[in-house]
Amino acid sequence: MFKMYIYFIASFGLFLIGLYAVLSKKNLIKVILGLSLMETGVNLFLISLGYVNGGTAPIFERALSPSKMVDPVPQALVLTSIVIGVSVTALALSLCVKLHEKTGTLDLTKIRSLKW
Amino acid sequence: MVNINILPLYLILIPLTFAFLSLLFNKLSKALGVLAPVLNLLIIYKLSYIFFQSKASIIVNLGGWKPPFCINLVIAPLSLFLAFLISLIALASSIYSIGYIHDKLSYKYYSLFLLLITGATGSVLTGDIFNLFVFFEILCISSYILVAYEKNKDSYEAAIKYLVQGSLGSTLMLLGIAILYGLYGTLNMADLANHITGINSIYLKTALALLISGFGVEAAIFPLNTWLPDAHPAAPSSISAMLSGVAIKVGVYAIFRVVFTIFGHNTLFLPLLALGIFTLITGELSAYKQDNLKRLLAYSSTGQIGLIVIALSIGSNESITAGLYQILSHALAKSLLFLSAGYFLYKYKTLAISKLKGLGRSNILVFSSMIIAIFSLLGIPPMIGFYSKFSILMSLFSSPVPALYAIVISIILMTGVEAAYFLRLIGSMGTNDISYEQNISQKSTSDWLMIIPIITLAILIIIAGFYPHMIQTVLGNAADNLFYKNNYVFRVLGGY
Repeated sequence: MFKMYIYFIASFGLFLIGLYAVLSKKNLIKVILGLSLMETGVNLFLISLGYVNGGTAPIFERALSPSKMVDPVPQALVLTSIVIGVSVTALALSLCVKLHEKTGTLDLTKIRSLKW
Repeated sequence: MVNINILPLYLILIPLTFAFLSLLFNKLSKALGVLAPVLNLLIIYKLSYIFFQSKASIIVNLGGWKPPFCINLVIAPLSLFLAFLISLIALASSIYSIGYIHDKLSYKYYSLFLLLITGATGSVLTGDIFNLFVFFEILCISSYILVAYEKNKDSYEAAIKYLVQGSLGSTLMLLGIAILYGLYGTLNMADLANHITGINSIYLKTALALLISGFGVEAAIFPLNTWLPDAHPAAPSSISAMLSGVAIKVGVYAIFRVVFTIFGHNTLFLPLLALGIFTLITGELSAYKQDNLKRLLAYSSTGQIGLIVIALSIGSNESITAGLYQILSHALAKSLLFLSAGYFLYKYKTLAISKLKGLGRSNILVFSSMIIAIFSLLGIPPMIGFYSKFSILMSLFSSPVPALYAIVISIILMTGVEAAYFLRLIGSMGTNDISYEQNISQKSTSDWLMIIPIITLAILIIIAGFYPHMIQTVLGNAADNLFYKNNYVFRVLGGY
């Protein structure tokens, strides 16, 4: 049981580090890194939800007992979420390239032609 | 005769397939962009016909499993109503875009536009919370790209702002879903609703807060709405109409699906009510001083979202009906206003209200449609907006908590502010004294392609105003669907 808590604490730690980066960093690339970190934290959390110590993939031919199977659903979810995360990161970085072409900077305190 | 259990799937499959077809066959992309909403409207017509005959929701189970083990689509009055609204606005905006979008890469525009429709339709139809997340991401990612479509400094900045806030929101959403899965081991909304008997444990409260803040980013609820006044004006006008008319409503739908159906809350929901009031007040007050037409409309959208959130979070059957009514009237009016703002931008290359002075007179068709939409937003009879605002106020008066009367005052005050800036807009555009140099040219076909959707929406606003009882009945059914959790659970899981 204690092992499970370690996974949870680590994943929430990653999540919070990412959140801190998103909220406080001034460089746009670092903000995007923060977003990826947050995603990784959530993915780790999902995986650890279905994790069984010493378990393997739930394939029926191997005639495993259910206590030796890891939950496959979170893994499917994480796969989807990783794909989404990659595409969002790629889009964000390409927008950064374009923004740098137009403004010459990625410092968020300097890019503020739009205001309230 | 198509199999009735497969028919709803086409609502998602058609725009999705067409999105990729338009990348393959560049020349067909315009036709595909118009065809997809038309086909969707036909399917929705057929489905609602079947629904009103049998009075039973159609549950589509995918992959040959029974719920709760499969992803399912739930075709009920609420999802049909929202899917209808999405296809209607999409049709108007796709016809408009043929006249409005002229660059060489327009097939990419239509492809993304169709993906936007896919995401929005999928989100309102699905009965699985992770599937909701996936469709929501399709909606969000395609709208990030479309906001940057104009390829200038402002649009890139707006897009990156939207992207950072939006993906922060989706991460929070995913964390909320993960907590729910960890607690109950299921992702089916009906099954989750079946397990959750009350919002009592700290885990459930955390999950609810995470889901509301995640969906709240897309719904533009008060502290999370700083992206909206940048993103909506920066997008091409046809997309602004879709984003303001449809995308934020999908966010609101998702929030209240979670609060009412999954978590089974069935009284006043105070946190969202408070946020709704703040959203209303900040939106309307910031709209007041804007000079950029689209920015003014975007802020006004925020205010209207506040009104919808207030109505929905009161949590009585009448108030939810009123909130859905307001969703309908705002979607029609605001997309009309964005489309006509785009028309003026296209013709006169400016959005500054001070420069558009007197131009309403020379574009009388568009200008009078704008006046109809504005009157509907302000709630002047006989437009549709009168009934929606009126029923929100009535539901506030009939609620058991007398403190809610204070909200009535704030709504009326904010309507006054709204009236002030909209009448200033009408006055400035309708004046005789023309300060801005203009070239009066003959109307070309592309002009008419923009004018026709605008006029059609204006006619719809007036016609819908004549049938308040019919709309009230349909929306009443939809509200039941959102509000009575046990019915929903029974319909989806009943068979097993």
